[in-house]
This record gives sequence, structure tokens and C-alpha cells, in this order.
Amino acid sequence: MFELFKNLGTWLTSGSQWAGQDGIAHRLGEHLQYSLLATLIAAAIGLPLGLLIGHTGKGAFVAINLASFGRALPTVGLVVLVFLAGGLSMLPVYVALVALAVPAIVTNTYAGMTAVDPDVKDAARGQGMRGHQVLLQVELPLALPLIMTGLRLALIQVVATATIAAYVSFGGLGRYVFDGLAQRDLVQVLGGAVLVAVVAVVLDLLLSSLQRFLFRHRTA
Amino acid sequence: MNRRTLLGGLFAAASVPALAACSGGITSLNESSGSTAGGGSSKGGITIGTANFTENQVLGYLYAAVLQQAGVKVKVRPNLGTREIVIPALKAGDIDLLPEYQGALLNYLAPKDASAEPGTMQNALTLALPAGLQVLPYGQAADSDCFVVTRATARKYGLTSLADLAGQNGKLVIGAAPEVKKRRVGAVGLQEVYGVEFKEFKSLDSDGPLVKGALKKGDVDVANLFTTDTDIAANDWVVLTDPKNLIPSQHIVPLIADRKADDTVRKALARLGNVLTTDQLTQLNSQVDNDKKDPEDVAAAYAKQHGLA
Repeated sequence: MFELFKNLGTWLTSGSQWAGQDGIAHRLGEHLQYSLLATLIAAAIGLPLGLLIGHTGKGAFVAINLASFGRALPTVGLVVLVFLAGGLSMLPVYVALVALAVPAIVTNTYAGMTAVDPDVKDAARGQGMRGHQVLLQVELPLALPLIMTGLRLALIQVVATATIAAYVSFGGLGRYVFDGLAQRDLVQVLGGAVLVAVVAVVLDLLLSSLQRFLFRHRTA
Repeated sequence: MNRRTLLGGLFAAASVPALAACSGGITSLNESSGSTAGGGSSKGGITIGTANFTENQVLGYLYAAVLQQAGVKVKVRPNLGTREIVIPALKAGDIDLLPEYQGALLNYLAPKDASAEPGTMQNALTLALPAGLQVLPYGQAADSDCFVVTRATARKYGLTSLADLAGQNGKLVIGAAPEVKKRRVGAVGLQEVYGVEFKEFKSLDSDGPLVKGALKKGDVDVANLFTTDTDIAANDWVVLTDPKNLIPSQHIVPLIADRKADDTVRKALARLGNVLTTDQLTQLNSQVDNDKKDPEDVAAAYAKQHGLA
């Protein structure tokens, strides 16, 4: 056991392991690229959807259930399905990652919107604000903490799951996990897993400090 | 049941291993603790284990069918898992017999051994096996790694053997399981033995939907599959020949615990080994995978049809 951790330390710190096409730096870059792009696409889909159903109160039942359905989709199955339909590209990976991230964003955005005090919305309308003004100037700012939580949640899930890119021959930190398992190289598997965990934790910490900075004037 | 018949039954049961043990020059009454130096006995019945894939189960039931015909009591424990699970189970005595593959087993026991020819491999296996286990003579059927291209690719580049791949260095993309990148029977050996350099190595799966789908769609030019895959013939794919014997023989070989290996078992399994061909095994696999038949029925029907059971 001690030997394993010693080897893991060597693996993580040796310069040669960080350089080149199969090096940690390159794989880390790929992993971040996949994760951030997938989360951005998911946010572009999930945020408007969550805001819309939160603001109008219409279609919530359908949207929330669809989101739960999305959560239940097996990611690897989705990758294989899209791959068999469309061939070998990053598309299956992005489809699966986006499908994983959208539910967290939609449900949290919707939850944030419904948590806004109806009296506040009433007051805003009473002052003569229009629908979109209420949404953008009253509801959105009040719902923002929960929306941010949804985005953080989605990003963490995506970072942890982006390892499947390696399943269909692409890069990212999953390369170490899949190759290590196939080659019975436990140090490589552990190295990859530790790196994924570190990336997830660091990104979450960054986002939460951003969140705290943005809402530093808020008391609640 | 009265006491007399009960005692009689006990005596009869106990005397069988005792007799068997005597014939082997062993005095212990307890079969499992007996020495294995003089050969084993299948009189107490044999438990056959199989790994977790179709072909291995078909083989397990084939073993069962021919052994039953030879008068041995058999029990099959199918779908136990990978080699990392079944070999320890065999050593521990949970199972007694296992259908194995020469190359894969040798690679498991002695990863550095580079034997590729069936006879040499059989000797290497005997040397590498732990005490208490032995391999019986190998059969003619084999399930080895192979490298295939589509008919169109073969025509376009004039490919018939692995050696021809070197003429297209830097042009072709290979798809295979991740481990094949670092394996001798893979990118490493193809480079060393045939001087082949691929444009790209795509890590996919081991003879599964990913690698076959990628070959079909043209996302990879060369794919690493197994010779007993019925999809090869179904899609009219071309298996590249291996003139320099890079790919080790994967003849099917029974791996058995010494304690159960007697003449009855040896002869029954040798008879099966002589009859079963790679093509026939491929057909049996297809009956299970594509026609959704039960592996036990498929094996029994084959054994009956070929006069083995």
C-alpha cells in the first residue's frame, strides 16, 4: 500500500509525466476544455428554460420531470447510442455531458425562481414594472445564489464524468483511467482519478469564492 | 431409511475415493488432501467453471457433454468472471476444470514469455503453471486476435497480410482496446516485427460495438478483433494474414486440477479437441449471441450431432 502511494507521488511529480501529447498538462487542458464547453452549452439550454418556467409558472411539471429523466439516463449508454448513430467524433461525448448537466441547472434555476417572495414580485408589478423587468431586475438577482449552485453542481458532475471521452478514443484525464485499467497499471488509474478529483474540488472552490465575492453585500 | 442402509451408503461412498487413491499408490482416504503425484481421479465428479463470455460458456457445456458421455458426473458453474477470478477459484478447489486459451493463459502466468507456436506454448504453460494445475492437450479450434480491414480498404491499398500495412505507413488509423497500444500483439509488435507505423491509434473496446462500429463507418481503417467473431464473415471483412507469426496461438486448452485429471477425462476432452474446429465454434457462438439460444442446448446439440454424446 505504501509502495503504491510512493509510486503515485512519483507519477504525479515527474517532469516527463507532465510533458508531451500524453502528458498531464495536455490531458488536463483537454479535460477542462471538454468540461467547460459542455457546461456552457448546458447553461445556454438550461438557464433560459429554468427562468422561463420559473417566471411563467407554466410547464414546470413537464420540464422538471424531463430533467429527472435526463438525470436517470446512463451516460455510457448514451455515448454508445449516439456513436452508433453518428460515428466517431466528440459529439457523443458532448451530448452525454450536456444531458447530464442540464437537469441540475434547470431544477436549481426553477427552484431559485419559485423561492422569490411573491409579495416582492407583486410590489415590483405594482410599481409599474413590466414582465421582463420583473424577471431581470427582481427575480433573477434574488434567484442568483441558487442558480449559481446549480451551475456549480453541473460543472462538478461534468468534470467527474468527462472521463468518458477516453472511452471513445479521445483525451482528457480519463485517458489515464481507461488506459491504466486496460494495462493493469494501477498507479496510472489512481493518478488519473486523483487529478479528476483535484480539478473538481479546485473548480468548485473557485466558483464558490466567485459567488461569495458577487454577493458580498448581501446579508442573507 | 434404516441405520443399516445408511451405513451401507456411507461405506460405499467412502470406498470409492479409497479405491481410487489405492490405485494411485496413495493411502489417504481423504481425496482432497491426497497427494497429486500419481494423477487424480474424476470418480467424485468434476465441477467445470467458465469465464464471463459466450464462447467460454459454450466450451464449458461442451466439456460437460463429452465428460457425461464418458461416465463422469459433472456440474457446470457458468459465468464466474474474468481470469483473475476463475484461476484462483480453480486453485482453491471451488472448480476443477476450465476451458482456456494458450496465449492468453500464458500471458496471465508468464507475461514476458514470447512463445507463439502451439507446441512451444504448451511446454511454456506446463513450466509456468502453479503446482496442482495442468493443461491437457490443446484442441484444433483457436480464438486468436486478428487484425481486419474492410473489403474496400483491402482493395484500395492492396492489403492481404500484416506485412502489407508497412507499405501504407502513416496513412492508416487503427482501432483497438486501450491495452493493445502497449501490447506486443498490438501496436508494439506490429512496429517491431512488420515495421508498421499507424497514423493514429484510437482506443476503443475489445471486439465490441465501438471498434466494430468505427470500422463499419470508416472511422478506423484497421480493427483488432477475434477470429471467432461471426461479424467478420457477415460484413465480408478481410482478416490480414500473419506470415511472421506475431500473434501467438490461442488454441483452446483444458486447464484442470491435478486431483481430477485421469485417463477418462483426458481422452474425452482430447476427442472433443480433435473434432471441434474454429469455424464450428464460431457458428456455436453465433447461435448463442445472434439466435439467442441457450449455450447448454447449443453445446449438447453439437456433441450429439458429432457423436460425442
